[in-house]
Amino acid sequence: MVKSLSRFIFRRLALAGAGAVALVLTGCATLPERKEIRYTGDPIVDGNAERAAAPVRDRALWDFRIAASALRANNDAEAKLHLDDAIPLIGGILANTDDAKKARRLFFGGESNKTFIGEPYERVMAYYYRAVLYWRDGQPDNARACYRTGQLIDSDAETAEYKGDYVLLDYLDGFVSAKLSSDGSDAFARAQAGAKGKKLPPYDTSANVLIFAEYGTGPRKYGGGEFGEQLKFFVKDSTAHSATLAINGQTVRLPAYDDLNFQATTRGGRTMDFILGDHAVFKSGADKAGDVALVGAVIAANQRGRNADTTALALGAFGVLSKLASAATTVKADIRMWDNLPQRLSFAALRLAPGDYPATLEFQDASGRTLAGLTQTLSLHVDATERDTVIFLSELKR
Amino acid sequence: MKISLRILALTGITAPALFLAGCATGVQNPSGVPVTEMKADERGFVAGTGVESQDLVAVTDKMARGVLAIPEIANAKVTPRIVLDPVVNETRFPINKDIFLTRIRSQLNEKSMGKVRFLDREMMKTLERERDLKRSGQVTASADPSVVEFRGADYFLTGKLQGLTTKTSAGTSDYILYSFRLTDARTSEIVWESSSEIKKQGLEDAAYR
Repeated sequence: MVKSLSRFIFRRLALAGAGAVALVLTGCATLPERKEIRYTGDPIVDGNAERAAAPVRDRALWDFRIAASALRANNDAEAKLHLDDAIPLIGGILANTDDAKKARRLFFGGESNKTFIGEPYERVMAYYYRAVLYWRDGQPDNARACYRTGQLIDSDAETAEYKGDYVLLDYLDGFVSAKLSSDGSDAFARAQAGAKGKKLPPYDTSANVLIFAEYGTGPRKYGGGEFGEQLKFFVKDSTAHSATLAINGQTVRLPAYDDLNFQATTRGGRTMDFILGDHAVFKSGADKAGDVALVGAVIAANQRGRNADTTALALGAFGVLSKLASAATTVKADIRMWDNLPQRLSFAALRLAPGDYPATLEFQDASGRTLAGLTQTLSLHVDATERDTVIFLSELKR
Repeated sequence: MKISLRILALTGITAPALFLAGCATGVQNPSGVPVTEMKADERGFVAGTGVESQDLVAVTDKMARGVLAIPEIANAKVTPRIVLDPVVNETRFPINKDIFLTRIRSQLNEKSMGKVRFLDREMMKTLERERDLKRSGQVTASADPSVVEFRGADYFLTGKLQGLTTKTSAGTSDYILYSFRLTDARTSEIVWESSSEIKKQGLEDAAYR
């Protein structure tokens, strides 16, 4: 009698456990329905539609993507709008926020619950792009502010040699200072020291045309480890290693001074990696303990005697709870990424009289051979105003 | 049997608790956060270590009081004319630089009771075009348009923002020095200078480190 009752209870317990698992798995399906998006093929229009449909925590991610597309499409107003939305968020101190707490939580959390601000290389690029626009608007001091913040963001790297090691951020910081009649020599020296053997051009404060170029495809994120708890980067060396711009009878060299693949992979460990690592250990441990307990329960259930039934029941309950706890433990690293970043960044400054100039932009591979199919024929306009003419050139289409 | 019932009860309590915890991940602030009106000199709940409205108000209030108190302005026999020259930003924070001088100018205009006048150099192109239209007779003029009436500056008011930043595992600290000066346009003498300094620090959530 007791045995059959125990079996009855055990079955119910198993049913309750299974039901609880099912409820836990389906209980989260209360998110608002996502607005349907009609894609047009225009990255700015589609990006804005995605942004409108995205959760608030993903807004900066879409701001980043749209801003890059807008800059490449010479739509400065759109690029500024999105960068100015994102920068106060990524440049502030995010503390005591519910979503960050949720991201760190052991159960039902997940790093992608936090408001997206991006990894340091992504935040740096938001400032880098905003600086292009500030300089174009005749505010080089605000551009310099962006370079300084960018370099500070990069100071998060674990290893000292990779802290604040963007060559262009220091170089351009010093260039702005030199142009504003201040001393840019310290920043130039820092840039030269980090240029890995490349000789940086000396500052020409009379240069009125500033060329920012980018090429290659930037890093991609993915989740590594047993449960995707490790933030990893897929980096593929892009074919374009350098560029040249033929304009007004001269060939302007645009070598790669910075590499975002290098920047993404040299940050080192994050505090969040330790948190997720602990969660992964717990998840794995709870899952294994659940397996052992459930196997033990089956073995015990096949033994004779009251104690065996009670033991089976206890082990079964423990196994179910362990499995539940393991299933509810969230360990996945945040792999939301700014997916239209370039790999390489370059800059050159030259003097040109006001007017329109036909120009040809070519990209070269590692051996210096011109890459067929990537050549761009351009018409560049040099302003007659006092402010510098800032030209932004990209290999990327969107 | 008692043990079994205890376990059953425990399971019964734990499973719904886990289920309910799971549901709590859906929507944040489902009822929204109502708009809160704040004073411009109040610190908001969205904060950074950079230049914020409360800093702007505190700094420009101090500068406006300082300018009005100097003898060159307070005891001037002829109303001094001031031209604003853009502030130079040497900090790591991109800012709207004009906003400082705009607020100082409006504070001075409000409080000086006509003791100072500002020259609108931002409008020069528009003003010159209007003058040329008058000179060519395309529009009417209430005075002889050939006489130069654009006033020259007696003083230039400008400023500079400089900063120092420290970032360690304990957080980020930013010190900003706001300095403004009034320069005599004739002699190049700095007749007034004042500064204000603000330091802020914070540490972001571990989820962002």
